[in-house]
Amino acid sequence: MKTYIAKRLGYMFITLFIVVSITFFLMQYLPGTPFTNPEKLSVEQLEVMNEKYGLNKPVAIQYLNYLCDLARGDLGISYQYEGRSVNEILGERIGPSVLIGSQALIFGAIVGLLLGIISALKHNSFLDYGSVTIAVLGMSIPSFVFAALLQYYVGVKLGWLPAALWEGYENTIMPSLALSVTVIATVARFIRTEMLEVLGQDYIVTARAKGLSEKAVVFKHIIRNAIIPVVTMLGPLAVAIMTGTLVIEKIFTVPGLGEQFTKSILVNDYSVIMGVTLMYSALFIAIVFIVDILYGLIDPRISIKGEV
Amino acid sequence: MSSLKQEVEDDLFVRAPLEEKVLEDFAEEPVTFWNEAWRRLKKNRGSLLGLITIIFLSLMALFGPVISNHSFDDQDLALSNLPPKIEGLGWLGFDGRDVNGKDQYEAREVTSNFWFGTDEFGRDLWTRVWKATQISLFIAIVAAVLDLIIGVVYGGISGFFGGRVDGFLQRIIEVLIGIPNLIVIILFILILEPGITSIILAMVITGWVGMARVVRGQILQLKGQEYVLAARTLGTSNVKIIWKHLLPNVMGAIIITLMFTIPTAIFFEAFLSFIGLGLQPPLASLGVLIEDGYKSMRFFSFKLLFPAIVISAVMISFNLLGDGLRDALDPKMRK
Amino acid sequence: MSKYVMIKLFMLFTLVGLVLTGCNFSSSKDTTSENDENSKTTKAKQVLNMVEASEIPTMDSSLAHDNVSFTVLSNVNEGLYRLGKASEPELAMAKDDQVSEDGLVHTYTIRDANWSNGDPVTAADFVFAWQRVFKETGQYGSMFETANILNASEIVTGEKQADTLGVKALDEKTLEVTLTTPNALLGQLLTFPTFLPQNQKFVESQGEKYALEADNLLYNGPFILSEWKHDASWKYQKNTKYWDADTVKLDEVNVFVVKEAATQLNLYDTNKVDSINLSSASVDQYKDDKDFITLADSEIFFLRFNHNHKALGNKNIRRAIDMSWDKQAHVDRILNNGSLALYGLVPKNFSTSPTGKDFRELNGELNHGDIKEAQAYLAKGLKEIGQDSVDITLTVSAVEGNDKTAEYLKNQLEKNLPQVKIKLKLVPVEQRYELESALEYEMVISAWGPDYIDPMTYIGMWVTKGSANRMDYSNPKYDALVKNISSEEDTTKRYEMMLEAEKMLFEDAAIAPLYQRGLAVLQRSTINGLVRHPSGPDFSFKWTEIDAE
Repeated sequence: MKTYIAKRLGYMFITLFIVVSITFFLMQYLPGTPFTNPEKLSVEQLEVMNEKYGLNKPVAIQYLNYLCDLARGDLGISYQYEGRSVNEILGERIGPSVLIGSQALIFGAIVGLLLGIISALKHNSFLDYGSVTIAVLGMSIPSFVFAALLQYYVGVKLGWLPAALWEGYENTIMPSLALSVTVIATVARFIRTEMLEVLGQDYIVTARAKGLSEKAVVFKHIIRNAIIPVVTMLGPLAVAIMTGTLVIEKIFTVPGLGEQFTKSILVNDYSVIMGVTLMYSALFIAIVFIVDILYGLIDPRISIKGEV
Repeated sequence: MSSLKQEVEDDLFVRAPLEEKVLEDFAEEPVTFWNEAWRRLKKNRGSLLGLITIIFLSLMALFGPVISNHSFDDQDLALSNLPPKIEGLGWLGFDGRDVNGKDQYEAREVTSNFWFGTDEFGRDLWTRVWKATQISLFIAIVAAVLDLIIGVVYGGISGFFGGRVDGFLQRIIEVLIGIPNLIVIILFILILEPGITSIILAMVITGWVGMARVVRGQILQLKGQEYVLAARTLGTSNVKIIWKHLLPNVMGAIIITLMFTIPTAIFFEAFLSFIGLGLQPPLASLGVLIEDGYKSMRFFSFKLLFPAIVISAVMISFNLLGDGLRDALDPKMRK
Repeated sequence: MSKYVMIKLFMLFTLVGLVLTGCNFSSSKDTTSENDENSKTTKAKQVLNMVEASEIPTMDSSLAHDNVSFTVLSNVNEGLYRLGKASEPELAMAKDDQVSEDGLVHTYTIRDANWSNGDPVTAADFVFAWQRVFKETGQYGSMFETANILNASEIVTGEKQADTLGVKALDEKTLEVTLTTPNALLGQLLTFPTFLPQNQKFVESQGEKYALEADNLLYNGPFILSEWKHDASWKYQKNTKYWDADTVKLDEVNVFVVKEAATQLNLYDTNKVDSINLSSASVDQYKDDKDFITLADSEIFFLRFNHNHKALGNKNIRRAIDMSWDKQAHVDRILNNGSLALYGLVPKNFSTSPTGKDFRELNGELNHGDIKEAQAYLAKGLKEIGQDSVDITLTVSAVEGNDKTAEYLKNQLEKNLPQVKIKLKLVPVEQRYELESALEYEMVISAWGPDYIDPMTYIGMWVTKGSANRMDYSNPKYDALVKNISSEEDTTKRYEMMLEAEKMLFEDAAIAPLYQRGLAVLQRSTINGLVRHPSGPDFSFKWTEIDAE
């Protein structure tokens, strides 16, 4: 187990290093300058600016400098907000993203589980069809369309929740809801399939045959066994939520990482792009890692011995 | 071994006579894997509906732009922002009236009907929606097929040869999996000029990994099966084993993965359009149309409605068909 | 075992979420909700809620280079002059402006005014701030050149040190500014935020932190920045220590950062904000609303031609392109937001002559022809370069709906000029600037917002090798004329020369103007005196008042 974790940590490190390097060199090919409003900049001024930010040095030197700073935990200075450090910007931004992301994940997982369980237990009933319909619709409507509709109907027409801005807890509800749609759909479909499979297993027949109450069979055997693999969905779900935040945060004006990322790529803020990329990758790698470890802990059938 | 071989003489074997009765047992046309799959698929109403919808949408994508007499880039500002109107379908909302109930066709003395309305350039949205469907499907299918080719080759090699080759290729995949594909795609599109080719390329760059993993897993599993062992013992060449024995059996998994890759690619393209990295005008994909429609959804809701319905229909039908195919092709479910 | 792990996982996520966000919410919502309740009482609450499409890039006046920063800076600080209600320069921190006979030395007496920490505003604060622009390589160092301030050009090119700049503090309250040539525009230019004062002691005590947060700043203007939540909102509060505090009616201005136009509209509809700019797509819905107004802005959009291109180097072809398309239909139906068709370089309602006439009115519509004329010019031009047809790539970036303009332009040009084929090339805005500067384009949709309120901000762009030229346009006669305008002291003569220069530019059909930007605004009718400026800051809140309904 220990060697396994050490090995995985090693891979995580290599992956991160590769991500940083690829992003850094891709950035060299990004068209345009990172300076806002270059329309009014003269050639001389551009040169001065490049020197100020060290952009006139050879790429290799810039790369080494970046790596050195990174090793010290310094992500550099933003270009679009003069003088503000990327660490500070990301520090402010990660909170809202994690909040709506985790709310969406928790809410989506609970609702998805309920829908999936109900539809599997009431297989081929109207409840089943209803849940399946919700799940399929959730997967087939682009999240930004759903978010826009939600904002207009719930926020403006009904006025139940604030349409946008980031001022209090009620502002987090609609973005989280919009994000959770994909989670609900994915989890519900997954659970339904798993449950149907478990229902056909011999041990369920055995459990029934030995006279266990239906309640005990459902809770102790069916649901428990079907839920375990949901943990493996965490990785793909985290990705779905990350993707979602890019557009949802923009629509609901959530000051989060996703919104910052889309903005930074459009204005060539190199250091912020690098910072967000690194952050997303680290988050993603960590989730995948945790899922693998958790899965080994939860499911006694899987043992971790060096190789998976 | 060699001495043993010499001792085995041909006359040690005697051909058993073929009995009539045994022959009769084989007379019936053998139920092939594909026949069986098709039979099962037909039983699944949902996936059949999905298949029909896909065929319908593909036909519309091909012929829809042709039957309306408008080109997707015909501008006429006198016809801008007309609501949808279809003769005889007024009760369904296709009555040419805007949000305020004013008949725009009457007010502007427009005689020809636009089934899905027009955009601000006066371009026929019916034509544009189907043209966009065509482009979106094209992007998705090409991306999926490229994923498939790279993925099958990579996964196939990795799974079939195993050992060191597999270990090496898997280490690469492990690293690639850790890179958030979203970010790589966005960076690539920024560097390449936005357009159909760069969107496809960007999606393939990260997309093939999933397919490669599926194929490798399947091959590893099949490789150990008795019939492959038997074929190998009989001295069948590697190529023939892959072609004759492994590939047909991996096909199911590949098709299922493909069915789920296509809608994901369509969604991704829509998403890229929304954050401003879409196609070059005047070309439009469903994502571009939805993004346009979103901006004016309050007053010209039809601009959002039709492309959104089409994209949802595409997503639903591919998902339904994918689900059905999984049930039909999954050997575990075959009894 | 599994149950516990799941529960722990659940708790972990919730906890992480709560801890990380605990400090992110604000109290500003209280004020807005109170505002809704109190709006019906006799005296309206003096609170204004606005939106802005971007965060404040910087609050350091030496570095500021965009309208959001300019707007905030001009409302919380004050220079020698400020833009008045009619966007005319009026004395602000300066009590008076004495000019020497040769017009080269201006002596300003600084008013009795204080910074928000109680320190008096002194002449030295100006000297420090102005020199600092060069030490910090601010992007608007060129404004000092435009103002003709002594040694500014040499400092920009690096020949001289920043402390040789022609500005001196004679005593605590007397500032002397020396020019190289007299400048009729000086008062106008001094309203620009780059010329704002900074308190040396404070700036130095803050070090690298200066201007990064609301607390790292000093204010001497009508408002103070009381709260600045990055990328979410900021809040102005009335500055009670402001010398003219009696004029200021508003107690508070909240500004929210909202990028999506649709979201802005939703916030307006739910009474969270009081004034928004409508996107073209929503104009039809609101054009009969009592709160709806359209305003002509002074940003111009135009086609830059690469004058080195074989076909586009020909002025008849350029003129044909300019004349061949329907500019009026474009602003009416595609933009649909109060933008005006533009047949010239200087926009409408921007500058008035000494005789009180609008620049545009005096010069009329230049190169306004019909399709027939356009086709004739094209035929002539094609003959001159010896080609039957011409393929042109039009570079455009998708900002301000320019991608729509390009789609329309392509369709119009190809329809009306059958020998012309247009290929669109959509690029991010940053890349467009780079391509423009490197002259790696054939035809590009560009924009230009004025730096100061005088036609020269447009006319000066086109001198040979000028940094805003970016299309290798060169006309020695034009260069000479522009040079003479800069040193001409007689305002009437100067104005005539500027009119002449514009005509010269269009004689060459150097550029093809597209439109003058307009704003479709949805604004509560209770808002009074919200001043919009054509250049520099977008708004002044100094004179704004909320009426009772």
